[in-house]
Amino acid sequence: MRTPRPDQVRIGFYICHCGTNIAGALDVGEVVNHVAGLPGVALARDYKYLCSDPGQELIQHDIRDHGLNRIVVAACSPLMHERTFRRAVEEAGLNPFYCHMVNIREHDAWVHTDRQEATAKAKALATGAVRRVALHKPLETKKVPIHGEVLVVGGGIAGIHAALILADAGKRVYLVEREPTIGGHMARFDKTFPTLDCAACILTPKMSAVGAHPNITLWTYSEVTQVEGYVGNFNVTVTRKPRYVIEDACTGCLQCIEACIYHDARFPDEFNLGLGKRKPIHLPFPQATPPVVLIDPGTCIEFKTGKCKKTCVEACADRRAIDFQQREETRQIQVGTIIIATGFQTFDPRRIPYYGYGVFPTVYTALEVERLLNAAGPTGGEVILRNGKPPQRVGIVHCVGSRDENTNRYCSRVCCLYSLKLAHLIKEHTGAEVYNFYIDIRTPGKGMEEFYNRVAEEGMHLVRGKVADVYPDPADPANGRLMLQVEDTLMGRILKVPVDMLVLSVGLEPRADTQEVRRKFNLCCGPEGFFLERHPKLAPVSSYAEGVFLAGCCQGPKDIPDTVAQAGAAAAQALALIVRGYTEQEPNTAYVREEDCSGCKSCIPLCPYTAISLAADKQKAFINEALCKGCGVCVAACPSGSIGQNLFEDEQLLSEVEGVLTYA
Amino acid sequence: MREGNWRPRIVAFFCNWCTYTAADLAGVSRLKYAPNARVIRLMCSGRLDPQLVLAAFARGADGVLIGGCHPGDCHYLEGNYKTLRRFRLLRRLLRDLGIEEERLRLEWVSAAEGEKIRQVVTDMVETLRALGPLDLPGQFRQWDQEVETLKAQVVEAERLTPQPA
Amino acid sequence: MIATIEPELATVCQRDTTLETLLQQPEGRRILSCIQCGICAGTCPYGEYMDFPPRRIISMLRRGLMEEVFQSDSMLRCVACYACMTKCPRGIRLSDVLLPLVKEQTLQRAPEMPAELQRSLQNTLRYGNPMGESSRKRANWVTTSPVPVPILAEIRRPVDVLWFVECYTSYYPRGQDNSRAVARLFNALGIDFAILGNEEKCAGDCGQLTWESGLFETLTDYNMEILRKYKFNRLVTGDTHAYNAFRIRYPMYGFNYELEHTTPFLTRHVEQLKPRLKKPLNVTVTYHDACCLGRRAGFYEEGRTLLRAIPGVKLVEMVHNRMNSLCCGGGGGGMWLDTYFKQKGMDRLSERRIKEALATGADVLAISCPYEVYRFEDALKTLPHARPMRVRDVVELLAESLED
Repeated sequence: MRTPRPDQVRIGFYICHCGTNIAGALDVGEVVNHVAGLPGVALARDYKYLCSDPGQELIQHDIRDHGLNRIVVAACSPLMHERTFRRAVEEAGLNPFYCHMVNIREHDAWVHTDRQEATAKAKALATGAVRRVALHKPLETKKVPIHGEVLVVGGGIAGIHAALILADAGKRVYLVEREPTIGGHMARFDKTFPTLDCAACILTPKMSAVGAHPNITLWTYSEVTQVEGYVGNFNVTVTRKPRYVIEDACTGCLQCIEACIYHDARFPDEFNLGLGKRKPIHLPFPQATPPVVLIDPGTCIEFKTGKCKKTCVEACADRRAIDFQQREETRQIQVGTIIIATGFQTFDPRRIPYYGYGVFPTVYTALEVERLLNAAGPTGGEVILRNGKPPQRVGIVHCVGSRDENTNRYCSRVCCLYSLKLAHLIKEHTGAEVYNFYIDIRTPGKGMEEFYNRVAEEGMHLVRGKVADVYPDPADPANGRLMLQVEDTLMGRILKVPVDMLVLSVGLEPRADTQEVRRKFNLCCGPEGFFLERHPKLAPVSSYAEGVFLAGCCQGPKDIPDTVAQAGAAAAQALALIVRGYTEQEPNTAYVREEDCSGCKSCIPLCPYTAISLAADKQKAFINEALCKGCGVCVAACPSGSIGQNLFEDEQLLSEVEGVLTYA
Repeated sequence: MREGNWRPRIVAFFCNWCTYTAADLAGVSRLKYAPNARVIRLMCSGRLDPQLVLAAFARGADGVLIGGCHPGDCHYLEGNYKTLRRFRLLRRLLRDLGIEEERLRLEWVSAAEGEKIRQVVTDMVETLRALGPLDLPGQFRQWDQEVETLKAQVVEAERLTPQPA
Repeated sequence: MIATIEPELATVCQRDTTLETLLQQPEGRRILSCIQCGICAGTCPYGEYMDFPPRRIISMLRRGLMEEVFQSDSMLRCVACYACMTKCPRGIRLSDVLLPLVKEQTLQRAPEMPAELQRSLQNTLRYGNPMGESSRKRANWVTTSPVPVPILAEIRRPVDVLWFVECYTSYYPRGQDNSRAVARLFNALGIDFAILGNEEKCAGDCGQLTWESGLFETLTDYNMEILRKYKFNRLVTGDTHAYNAFRIRYPMYGFNYELEHTTPFLTRHVEQLKPRLKKPLNVTVTYHDACCLGRRAGFYEEGRTLLRAIPGVKLVEMVHNRMNSLCCGGGGGGMWLDTYFKQKGMDRLSERRIKEALATGADVLAISCPYEVYRFEDALKTLPHARPMRVRDVVELLAESLED
């Protein structure tokens, strides 16, 4: 085998069938024939699955046997397998950046129906790539060290679980939670499906473990207000809201609450969704973590008038934990990776006016019923209506704010099972007749169908039909009874079902401030508004921002087992980066060709990362490669064309443009 | 150019983070749209040198589509605003060159908007079909030919004209 | 708030759509996504009286068993109230296209058409109004108006507002009250308006809601031709059914004028109107959302805004309000099917609604559709009630409060 001269371009072109994904939609052979005739192409081949080991080996052998020094792979999106092929090329002794991918699956085979047109497009795209790759230069990847600290945003079960795994692995974790306590939605639940173990029994030990862990810095009542930097080295600003109680001094004895000038709790209690009452100084719930009280300045007399006797301060005595002067504080931290576990919000059923939530007092959301069922809840675990009576007939409406074009199109995944659970618990607590109105019962997962079966056998009424109308019983409008009008679709009959209590199984939605969080962390959102994972199957906990991982319902509705599993996966991914100690970055940075630079300085203000400065001695622009993120804004703006960008050189792009325009 | 089976050619410059990803999503969702756009990936729409747009037209594109992140969503903070400014200037320049402004289009497409890719590409193809071929290379050839003819005529005229003594 | 159906006129469907071609159109293909949840049947005011409520029609259509559906009179019982369409979680345009198409087939196969309905449709075809009144008397009410009502053919100049009066408001005494009120309000606001007078014919919404295409197209062609004769900036009508026809089906026949119903039109002028509303009415009012104005077009607050502008009006709500309003039973031909419904043992929807209105303790039931005054005043006659209740169009109440 003769060795080709190093300046001679010898391109190997490979087109992937991807089974029938690509080969079924376009003529792979025709593309091979076309490309084989292009200048510089030494070899053109097709193969069933190029990303498979034999596929990669094929390329590697060809590089050696045929002296190839440029590789073009026409297959799926480069966002999917660019790394795979670059690595394969590198293993065969070639600079990895001599490899370029053509996206003929996502951008061609999957979106076009005309075989001829799709083939023509593949030829054009391949021609562009062949032209471009001839001009590629060998490049070195940049290694960026990873800080070992991790920021976990959100202290629900996902954040708690991820934080504990990382802390147990010896890593420093900052857990930031917006509410005064961690625990999230799960802390509000009574029991959990399908095993019916009590949420508090399984959650609170983990909460305490977080509070006590030497490697976890827990900041509740705090928010991440700014994030700068990139994977490995994020600079994060956390704002801590004043709780008017010094965290380190408070022992959680609760004597201040006892001593509060208000003898009775009289303000709506946020933790119990307004179903119970609290005092201005309060602890959200008995197992709150940290067990530190807080004062609500909106209701505290001292804040409103400045004339309170401050009996709480007296009660706190020499612990001196209460501080009316406390101010908002900010903390700066440096972390290498971030786990987003900001959770969800439940659908506001006022958006479906015909279910009467907020109009009829006997209409509840499922989450409110969780609090009514909970022994630590506002009614001590008794399911009683606002009029003090227990319900005798209860209707549970599934899919409220789910599977509906008018609200949310997606299935919220947990409502069927939690509705069955609530049906069971309500019956257990009250002996009431319980009706479940469903469209389809969906119970995938371990033990779930069995649970459905069990609840059905208990004598639940299961009616297949979406409740269409809710109105007071016309026969006796004063008794608070509601009529539910629904078609039993299996029987084909319209039913009017009277109930004393209506429970709305509300869906799970992205939190109201999702867009703000998305911008802060440079994430993407899917069409339904949840944070978008990098790949639905192969990168389900990675976000589009390098070094930022997703866990729990912020990525989409899921139940507790899946949330915990995902949190574990996110922790493992963060850990993988930390343990390796560095990350590789695309060498797509910009550089100045000094001989052409006139020192006009027009590029300097354009750079969003202040990576460009004027070298005082030479009066030429200078780009600090460590700061450059490779956007290329300066390249496009330079009036003398003296800035280049690795991997996106002007002549490379120009030849790609020419290439894609050469088809017939 | 054969009018009968003429197909508009679009060169699409998509940013890596939003629009390119959206086009991937359109694929994953198996949305069907017109096959006329050839996508060139840039890290940021802000990388797009106006010369590349002009080069695309000069080399036979009937339309150029630029795709970037929505305002406020740029992965590089504000590259897309720079694109917007360049786009406005470019459109004016095109108009002055006698090229219809609609041939250059800028769209903000987020990574979640696969459907928007379908709509935009399909819609742009329709617009271009209505406008007809731009065919700058053909025009260039024609001008070259005209200049050649002119040159030949001048030479011929000079040959026939008696030189002043 | 939950979505109202978006007014994308052009996308409703092609004018020549049939049940066969429906599934080939993008809007029609939504039918294939039906999840059979039954909310359409459950919310249908006559759902319990139908062998084939919308959910079953869809499943029969998907199985190719429509003949069975046509043999049943289920669709004759549809009052085109848009409740099923508004709540459908798959956005299937039931009341716009599918149900009227089924209704047309049902009527074609019916051994005999209910006499009252047949007479009305025939009258509409022959005289341009369902009552069978002479078309030359259509503008007679104008002479009873306290303010001048210009007629386009007479004034021979372009106007800002072409006021399409419609049948009930031209011929029936209580409808004429409505027209006189509108004339006074337009006059008070200084609107440059005129009517078509005797040239006007029924817009044909009853025809469109039964997809009685022959009748509908005759009327459409006629009215479109008349409209083309004149110059005006916008077409305003107080008849919600005419409004519906102009909004949904006329565009398929080339209608592209700016269109408004009097309620939102007057709401736009409410600040101008307020200082003129001097006379306090001192009444408690409950507002009935008309189907074509509320659910179909999304105007829920406009009528209420106008009522609140009147001094001495206290507004109370019925149990079913806004998107969940109960139909008066007059749509889709229901206006002329009372006898038929009674024969079939069905209760009257207007009575159902009046019971709710009475339960609020209101003195006045305010409406914004000229069908309703008849239906509700009738229902009040047959239903015993202790407190007197009046039925008034919003425009009548406004005019009542208007200083002269």
